[in-house]
Amino acid sequence: MGRYLLRRLLESAVTLVLASLVVFLGVRALPGDPARTLAGEESDPATVEAIRHEYGLDRPLPVQYATYIRKAVSGDLGRSPRTGIPVADSIRHALPVTLQLATFAIVIAVTIGILAGVVASVRRRTPAEWGANAVSLLGLSVPNFWFGQMVILFLAIAYPIFPASGFVSVFENPVESLRHLLLPALVLGSALAAVIMRQTRSAMLDALTADYVRTARAKGLGGAQVIFGHALRNSLIVVVTIVGLQLGALISGAVVTEQVFVLPGFGKLTIDAVFTRDYPMIQGVALVTATAYIAINLLVDLLYSVIDPRIRVGGAVI
Amino acid sequence: MTVVADPPVLVAPIGTRRRIWRRIIRNPLAVLGLGIVCLAVVIAILAPFVAPFPFDKVDFSSPLQPPSGEHWFGTDSIGRDQLSRAMYGLRASVAVGLLSVVLSLAVGVPLGLIAGFYGFFDPIVSRLTDTLLAFPFLVLAVGLAAILGPSLTTAIISIGIAQIPGVIRVTRGETLRLRGLDFVAAAIAGGATDLVLLRRHILPNAVSALIVQATVAVPGAIIGEAVLSFLGLGVRPPTPSLGVMLADAQTFIRDGPWMAVFPGLTIVVLTLALNLLGDGLRDALDPRESRP
Repeated sequence: MGRYLLRRLLESAVTLVLASLVVFLGVRALPGDPARTLAGEESDPATVEAIRHEYGLDRPLPVQYATYIRKAVSGDLGRSPRTGIPVADSIRHALPVTLQLATFAIVIAVTIGILAGVVASVRRRTPAEWGANAVSLLGLSVPNFWFGQMVILFLAIAYPIFPASGFVSVFENPVESLRHLLLPALVLGSALAAVIMRQTRSAMLDALTADYVRTARAKGLGGAQVIFGHALRNSLIVVVTIVGLQLGALISGAVVTEQVFVLPGFGKLTIDAVFTRDYPMIQGVALVTATAYIAINLLVDLLYSVIDPRIRVGGAVI
Repeated sequence: MTVVADPPVLVAPIGTRRRIWRRIIRNPLAVLGLGIVCLAVVIAILAPFVAPFPFDKVDFSSPLQPPSGEHWFGTDSIGRDQLSRAMYGLRASVAVGLLSVVLSLAVGVPLGLIAGFYGFFDPIVSRLTDTLLAFPFLVLAVGLAAILGPSLTTAIISIGIAQIPGVIRVTRGETLRLRGLDFVAAAIAGGATDLVLLRRHILPNAVSALIVQATVAVPGAIIGEAVLSFLGLGVRPPTPSLGVMLADAQTFIRDGPWMAVFPGLTIVVLTLALNLLGDGLRDALDPRESRP
């Protein structure tokens, strides 16, 4: 376990360095003078010079990179030239919105996905299986922002049950928060639910024909106990992996969902930054996302090896 | 009467393609998918001839008209025919679906082959893949749109890049698997060079796995284009794209819900058709997989 842990940690560190390098070089890949780009197109030479000095752009690239990393580690991601607010502060305000949305979406996706997957595998060749399959196919074929528009159209405009936009933190008013977040979370979670359902179904189909399930049945255990206690328990490994693998899709989905439901989250911050050419913000957002993503993937991998001991023993890491 | 035994199968035998084709034809859902996909491609190519109106024809006398005999999909806020715009919009969808996948294959296949064949390169390519994967698709697209400016080309590039890791993984996995098989060992014993091994023996046998990968990638790319254009990171107005149409619809969702309904349905029908075709193709290429 120790060696596996060490190797994964090392791999993640290397990936993180490479990712930060990509982010760092990305802004420098912009056409023209980076100082001028950072300052904005119509800025006077003095401002450009100040920016050049602030960012140390007159020094060699490796030194610049080292400074950039040192600042980033201590939480300094620069200052947005547009708003004048430190990038880290903007991110700190936007992140809770996205985290609440994503957590809620994962809960919805896992619940629906696993239930539908179990039903589809246990009730084979019945309308229940066809229904679950059809819904999952739709979940994969419907772009989530359009699903969001349709949900708004029906549940916020035609039948105004839920608000069409806005955000209330769960820590301030849990009931209002739920009302505001239910539709966006449902929209964000739908694609994930479809993927989880498909994987659960195929893992369950494998598990249900396995020897240990036959043994359990032969011992006289009841249907529910075999399905949930034996087959599903072993199929859950797949779900953990899928949630980990789909995390990137979830982050992308959150950007779109926030745009449709006008939520002041991380995604909206990102899109606004692109349209206002707010490069320090883009840089900061990209770096934070990549770091979080690498860290969570590492966590999922470790969790995976805890659930399934075969992985840390053999060299076969998926 | 002599019984002729089948020769041992080394490479895909002649007639395999016809057998796969026959399996697809026998699957009604796959045929339906294929039909819709072909129709969409034809409409995209012939848009100027089949669209009832020019896509940019503004008609201030009939803004926000609900669907009617004249305007099947209704009109938008400045009276443009939504059906015609959707037909032209298919061009962007088809272009992105095709070109981004071609781009990801062109980069991913050689890297995957090298990583799977030469153990020395494997860790390097793996770190490269991980680095690419460290950026969720939209963050990558945002970065590229900031650097290159939003356009159809940018959309193709960012979607293509986002799909490279998947292609590398599949190609690498197949190469690793095939390398250990007897026919490759036989070819090595026969004095085949690495290039011959990769091109004549490994790549052709990895094709079906790559096709399966592509069947998932193409509908993903089409949705990707719609998402990027919806956010303003892809195709820019006035060029019509289904995503651009849905972005326009966002403002008029109360007064002109059809503006959102029909372009969205067009995307759903197209991606659903591609998924059905993909499922059929997957079953045809690997019958074991589909019937547990």
